[in-house]
Amino acid sequence: MAEQSLVVRGLNVAYGESKVLFDIDFDVAPNQIVCCVGRNGAGKTTLLKSIAGFLKPSSGAATAGGVNLIGHRPYDVARMGVKYVPQDKKVFSDLTVRENLELGSYATKDYNWDRVMEYFPKLKILLDRKAGFLSGGERQMLMIGRATLGNPKVMLIDEPTEGLAPSIVTHLKYVFGELSKSAALVIVEQNLPLVCGIAHKVYAMRDGRIVAELPGGAALTPAACEPYL
Amino acid sequence: MDPQLLISGVIFGLSMASVYFLMSIGLSLCFGLMRIISLDQLLYYSVGAYLAYTVSVVSGNVWLGVLAGVVVSGMTALVVERFIFRRIYERELTFSMITSFGILIGGVGVIKAIWGVVPRPVRMPTPDLVTIFGTEVPVYRLMVVGIAALVYIGIWLFLNKTIIGKAIRAGIEDVEHVEGLGINVSRLFTITFVIAGALSGLAGGLHAPLIMVDPQMGLEVLAFVFMVVIIGGLGSIKGTLVSSLIVGQVVSIGSLIYAPLALMAPFAIMLLILLVKPTGLYGSTMVKK
Repeated sequence: MAEQSLVVRGLNVAYGESKVLFDIDFDVAPNQIVCCVGRNGAGKTTLLKSIAGFLKPSSGAATAGGVNLIGHRPYDVARMGVKYVPQDKKVFSDLTVRENLELGSYATKDYNWDRVMEYFPKLKILLDRKAGFLSGGERQMLMIGRATLGNPKVMLIDEPTEGLAPSIVTHLKYVFGELSKSAALVIVEQNLPLVCGIAHKVYAMRDGRIVAELPGGAALTPAACEPYL
Repeated sequence: MDPQLLISGVIFGLSMASVYFLMSIGLSLCFGLMRIISLDQLLYYSVGAYLAYTVSVVSGNVWLGVLAGVVVSGMTALVVERFIFRRIYERELTFSMITSFGILIGGVGVIKAIWGVVPRPVRMPTPDLVTIFGTEVPVYRLMVVGIAALVYIGIWLFLNKTIIGKAIRAGIEDVEHVEGLGINVSRLFTITFVIAGALSGLAGGLHAPLIMVDPQMGLEVLAFVFMVVIIGGLGSIKGTLVSSLIVGQVVSIGSLIYAPLALMAPFAIMLLILLVKPTGLYGSTMVKK
C-alpha cells in the first residue's frame, strides 16, 4: 500500500479539563480530497488545528508522509509541508495582497507565483490593494493562494466556502480539484453539494468523535451526509 | 506669552517628545506583536544613560557613550528576552507586566550597586546655540529631534520595506496566522525586543546630557511613557509619534503657563482622548490571545 499523506491515530485533545476530541483515527491518501462534516462544536476545527500544531493533543499521533507532526510548533508543521487555511478569512489587512504573498514566499522560499495567479487570476489585478479592502471571496483566494506556495503535501482547509457567492464556490471547487493533483486535501465543509462533488471520502464528526466514514463517488449524496449535520 | 519663551518652549517640547517617542516605540511594538507590557524598557533607558555617562567620562566622547548605551541596552534586552520573556509569552498580560516591573526594580538595584545613588551629570556633546526667530536654542536639542526623526524614518522603512518588518506588521495583526505560514515568530519576537531595548537605550543616552543621570530616572518617566503609548494606541508607530508630540508639547508649554500643569495636563488629555476613543488615537481593538 502506498504511504499515506496524512495519518492520525488515537488523537485526543482537551481544553483544560474539558475533552473535545476522542480517539480520532483517519487516513488521507496522496491526491485525495477528504471532507469533514458535522454540526458546530463537533470538533472539526479543533481537529485541523491540532494537526497543524496550534493545539497540543493530550495523546495520539499524526504523521504526514511518515513524519511526526505532534509536538512541533505551527511554523515547523507548515515547513514540513502541512498548511492550514483557517476559516476566519483573516488576511493581514494592513498589508497589500503582494505583501501577503511575499510573506508566504518568505516562509517557504518559493517565489514563483505562477500557480497562484493561474488559480486566482483576479489576484493579479489586486496585487497592490490593501488586503483589508478585499471581499470575502477575494480574501479566501488570497489565503488559499498563499498556502499553495511551497507546494505543500497536505492542505488543511477550514470552511472555505462559508458566506461566499455561488460563482466563487464553483471556482473553488475547480481549484480544489487542481490542488489535489499535487497535494492531499482535508476540507472542513458544510456545503454538502460541494462535498459530494469533490470528496473521495467523508468523515462525519459528532461530539468530538468520528461517527461515520462515507466513501466518495456516486454513492455520496447530500442526503447521506445530512444526518450528521 | 513672550514669543521667545514660546519658541524656546516648543523646541524643549520637541526634544522631550523625541525622548518619549524613542522610549515608547519599544513598549508599543512589544505590546503590538507579543502582547506583553515590557516595563523593563525603562531599565534599558537608564542603562543607555549610564553608559553614555561612563563612556563619555572615560573617552571624552558623548556620542561614543550614546552608541555604547545602544549596544549594551540591546544586548541586555536580548538576554532578558531569551531567559525570561520567552518563558512567559503564553501567560496573561498582567504576568508580563509584573515580571517586567520586577526586572526594572532589580535592574535599578544593580545600577545603584555599580554607579551609586548620587546623580551624575553628562556633558553636552555641543554647547553651541542657534538662533530661531530671535530665540537662542541649544543645537543639541535640535540634534535630539533630528535623530528621533531619522529613527522614525528608519523604523518606517524597516516595517514597510523589509520582509522581517512586514512579518512584524502582520504579527501585530495576528501572530498565529504568521506562524501558520511557516514563519518562526519567536525569532520575530527576539528581533523586536532587541530593537525596542536598543531604542530605549538610545533615548537614555540622548536624554542624559539634558538631565542628571540617576538610578530612578526610568521610574520618573514611567507615567509619561505610559501616557504616550495609551494616547497613541497600543501597537501603532504613527500613534506613538503623534502622542509623543502631544505629550511633549503639553508638558513643555503647560509648565510655561503654570508649573503644575506640566504634570496634570497630559493626564487630562489622556482621559479626554480615552473618553472619545478608548483604543487611543491610532490603536485597534486588540486582545490578548
